[in-house]
Amino acid sequence: MLRVDLTNRKSWYEDIPAELLHSYLGGRGLGVRLMREWYRLDPFDPAIPLIFAVGPLCGTPAPTAARLTVVSRSPLTGTIYDCSAGGRFAWRLKATGVDALMITGASATPVAIAVTPSGAEIVDVSRLRGKTVHETVSALFGRGSVAAIGPAGENGVLFANIMMGEGNSVGRGGLGAVMGAKGLKAVTVNGDRPVDIACRERFETARQDVMRLFRASPVIFGELGIAEYGTPALVDLMRQRRMAPTDNFRRTVFEESGNYSGPAIRRDFHAKKDGCYGCPIQCKKSTPSGEHLPEYETVSHFGGLNGNAGLAAIVKSNTLCNELGMDTISAAATLSAWGEARGRFLDGGEVQGLLADMAFRRGEGELLSLGSRRVAEALGRPGLSMSVKGLELPAYDPRGAYGMALAYCTSSRGGCHLRAYPISHEILRKPIATDRFSFSGKARIIAIAEDTNAAVDSLVACKFSFFGATLEEYAELLSATAGIDYSPQQLKEIGRRICLTERFYNCDNGFGVQDDILPERFFHESGSSGEGIEVPPVARMRFEEELQKYYRIRGLTPEGVFADPDFLLKQP
Amino acid sequence: MFDQIARYMNKLITDRSALAGKIAIAAQDDVLIVDGNPALTHLAGDILARLSCLGLVVAAPSLPFADFLVARASREESCIIPRDTETRTFLHDIPFLRREELGENAALDIARLLGSRKGVVVEGVGIVASGALTIEQAYINYSSIFHSTFVKYLQDLLHDGFLLPGEAEAFAGFRRDWLRPLSADGLSFRLGPLADPAVILDEIATVGRYTVERGLVDSFFGNISCRTGDVIYISQTAASLDALAGCIDPVPMDNSSTFGITASSELLAHRRIYEVSGAAVILHGHPKFAVVMSMECDETECTVKDCWKDCDRVRMLGDAPVVAGEIGAGGLAKRVPPVIAGPRRAVVYGHGVFTLGEKDFAEAFQAMVEVENWCREEYFRRVAERLTACRG
Repeated sequence: MLRVDLTNRKSWYEDIPAELLHSYLGGRGLGVRLMREWYRLDPFDPAIPLIFAVGPLCGTPAPTAARLTVVSRSPLTGTIYDCSAGGRFAWRLKATGVDALMITGASATPVAIAVTPSGAEIVDVSRLRGKTVHETVSALFGRGSVAAIGPAGENGVLFANIMMGEGNSVGRGGLGAVMGAKGLKAVTVNGDRPVDIACRERFETARQDVMRLFRASPVIFGELGIAEYGTPALVDLMRQRRMAPTDNFRRTVFEESGNYSGPAIRRDFHAKKDGCYGCPIQCKKSTPSGEHLPEYETVSHFGGLNGNAGLAAIVKSNTLCNELGMDTISAAATLSAWGEARGRFLDGGEVQGLLADMAFRRGEGELLSLGSRRVAEALGRPGLSMSVKGLELPAYDPRGAYGMALAYCTSSRGGCHLRAYPISHEILRKPIATDRFSFSGKARIIAIAEDTNAAVDSLVACKFSFFGATLEEYAELLSATAGIDYSPQQLKEIGRRICLTERFYNCDNGFGVQDDILPERFFHESGSSGEGIEVPPVARMRFEEELQKYYRIRGLTPEGVFADPDFLLKQP
Repeated sequence: MFDQIARYMNKLITDRSALAGKIAIAAQDDVLIVDGNPALTHLAGDILARLSCLGLVVAAPSLPFADFLVARASREESCIIPRDTETRTFLHDIPFLRREELGENAALDIARLLGSRKGVVVEGVGIVASGALTIEQAYINYSSIFHSTFVKYLQDLLHDGFLLPGEAEAFAGFRRDWLRPLSADGLSFRLGPLADPAVILDEIATVGRYTVERGLVDSFFGNISCRTGDVIYISQTAASLDALAGCIDPVPMDNSSTFGITASSELLAHRRIYEVSGAAVILHGHPKFAVVMSMECDETECTVKDCWKDCDRVRMLGDAPVVAGEIGAGGLAKRVPPVIAGPRRAVVYGHGVFTLGEKDFAEAFQAMVEVENWCREEYFRRVAERLTACRG
C-alpha cells in the first residue's frame, strides 16, 4: 500500500498483512477494512482517508476485472461509501506495484498526486483550479491515467464525482467532494509492471468458461443486449414493465421514453461501442467524435423523471455533468424534487444552466448542490426527496420490483440499485426469474446477493459479468491467479464479512431501522397501472415484515443494529 | 415456501427424473424449512444450513446412470465431465462422492463440494443440487445433472459397453420400462397461419407444455417462437416450457425496440431462421437421444478440439443436418440457418434440435418427434451392433 499525507506532503509504503488480503480480497473489501480506524470522522475532516484499491484480478486478462474501488465516507449520506470504476486507471495503478493508495490530510492549494513505480510525487496544480475534468485530464497528458475532479468536487457539491480520464466515474456518494476537501485535483498513475498468474492453464480454462457464459446471456451479448445498445437497452423494458420513474416518481410510465431508448440513441447519435480497458462487453457507448453517451439511469432521470423527452438535451446534460464532475442520477433527481416542489419541471435548456450553477454553487445552485433530501427539507416538503439515507433512487421504481424496494433500504450506501441488484432476477431473469410483485423469500435473496456482490466488488469485477457468469468461474480465476484455492462459498462468506462491517460502521454512526425506509410516496401512491399490469403501492406491513426477516438473517436486533458491540474486534 | 416445495417435489415426480418417496427439498428464509423423505430431510437441512443458498434438492434419480458413471470412473477421478452443451456451459463439471468417501458427517462433505458447484452426485444417495436464489433454481440444477448424466452414460455405453455387474439388466429395464413411445398422437394443434396475438401466446404456451409432457424436452431446456408479420413471439430466457404464460416476449423483427432483451438467448438464431426459411414457427428442445447422437462423429483424422464450437462440417442424422455452434452468440445462430430451410429440421452438436412449421406447430412438433425417434432407434441399433461385436 502506498500512503500519501497531503498535509505534511509525505508518502511512504506500508505492507498490508496477507491475512487482510485473504480476508477482504481487495477493492471494496480492503478499502472498507482499512477505514476501521477512521470511519467515525466527518467526510470533510482532513484526516479521513480516501482510498483507491484495486482487486486481485486487476492486471490479468480476467474479463471485466480491470477495475478499482474508491472508499471513504459519503458527505451526501454519512454512510461508509465505496464506488468502483473501470477505465485504464486501475491496471496502471496496479502496474506501479500498488494494491491500495491511501490518501489522508489536505493541501491548502490544489495539488495532484503522480504515482509511478518509484513512488508518489505531489505536484502543484494551482493553474487547474476551476478547470473542467476534460481540461484537467488534458493538462496532465503524459502522466498516464488520470482520476480528477471538476468544479463540483472543488466546490464541495455533495454528489460530486471523481472522474476517470477515460470517462468512467466514481459516482453517487460525493467522493469527489471528499477529494476536493483535500485540495486534491487529480491523481495520475503510470505503472508498467506485469501481474503474475500462478497457474495460467487453470486461468485460461476459467476465462473460457466465463466467455461461454457471456455468449449464452441475452443481456450481455444478445442482439438486444448491453454490448449492442449499452444500458439504455433497459429503457424499453422498464417502460413495458411499467416501472420507469416519471415526474419525480409520481408515475411509472413515460409515454415518450422511446425518444431516448437504446435504438433511438444509436440512430440519432451513431453510437459506437466503447468501454473499460480489456472488457469484452464494451457496454459504454460514445459518438464517433468520442463524446460519451449517457447510461440508462441518466437518460431516464434527465428524461422521464423530469418530464423531458428531448434526447439531445439529455445527452448535453450528461456531458455537462461529466465535465463538471457531478453525479447524473443525484443531479437529475434533485432537480426533479425541486421541480415538483415548484410545480413545474425545467426544460432541457434550463436544466443545463442549473447544472452549472450547482457545480459552482451559485444562485439557486447553492441549495441544489446539497442533494434532494436537504433541498426538500429546506423547502418544507421532505416527502419530495425520493431517496434512502439521502441517496437519490435510480431509475427502477420500487413499486415494480419488491426485492428492489427492500434492497434500496438495506444497502449500506443508501438508495442504490447495485448492492443486491435484484433487477437481475426480478426483471432480467438472471440467473433465474423471481416474482417481482412478491416479497416471498426476498430477505434471504437480498442478503445472499449483497454478500455475493460485496465479493464481486472486492475482486473487483463488473456486475454486468454476473448477468452471465457466477462466482464459480470468478473463484476459479482468483484461485488460478493467486495460487490459493477460493470457493464461491468462501467468497460469499468474505462478502458477508464486508457487508456486516459496513453495517457496523453505519450503526456506530447512528444509522438503524429508522433509516432503512422508502419515501412515504411508495407506500400510499400507486404507480401507473395498465396494459394488464397493476402497480399498487408497496404494502408497508409486508415490507416491514421482510425487513425484520433480513435483520434476523443478518443477526441484527429488531432495530437493525448489532447486539454485540465488539463485532469488529472479532473480525480479521 | 411450502407451496413451492410441494410444487417442485411434484415436478420431480411427474417428469420422472426422481423416485417418488426419495425426495427432500429444503429452503431457508429466516428459518430453515424442509420437507420430503424423512431420512433425506435431515441431510438436506444439514447441508443447506452450511451454504449461502436459498434452496436445495436431494433426490434419488429414477435411473441409476449417475451411480454407474461414478462406479465406472477411475479412482483418481473426482468429477463427471458432462458433454451436453447446456451442462458444459452452466455447470462445467459435476463433483461426486463415492460411498466410501462419505465421512461420519456426510452433510459437511457434501456442503464442501456444493460450496464450489451447483450440484453433486453422491453415490447411493442421489443428486444433490442447490439454488442460490430460489427452489426452482435447485430443481433446474437437479434436472440439468439428471439430463447430463443420462446423456453421458448413454454415450459412454455406446463406446465402452457394459463394464459393471447389473448394468445390462438396468439398461434393459430402462429401455423396457422407463422409455415410452414418443409421438404427437392425440395432441391438438391450432391450424395456421396464426395471427391473433392472444391466440399465438396461448398456442405457444400449449405447445411448450406438450413438449415437456411428451418427454421431448426437460422442463427448462428449449425455446419456442412464432412469427406474424414483423413480430416474433418468443419464450423468455430461463423460462420453463411447461409454464410459459406471461413469459413470452413480442420482439420486432427490425430491432426498433430492445424490449426483447429478456427473450431467449436463441433470439438471433430464430430471427435468422425466419429470414431464410419463410417458416411461421420454430420449436427448439433438447431431446436426449438426439443430443447423444449429435456427438457421435466418425471422423478419425480431425484436428478440431472444441467440437461444440469449432466444427465446420455438416453431418446427417437421418434427414436432419447436424452442425456445431454454442448457445446465444456462440455461433449457433450462424450455422443453423443455412442448413435448416430445406429439411425444416436441424440438430446442433451436443445441444438439441430445431424444427420448423410452415404454418403452425403441428409440423414442427411432428418433426421433432421424428428426429428424436430416429436418433433413439439408431442409438439402440448401434448399441446392439457394439454388443454383438463384443460378444463376437
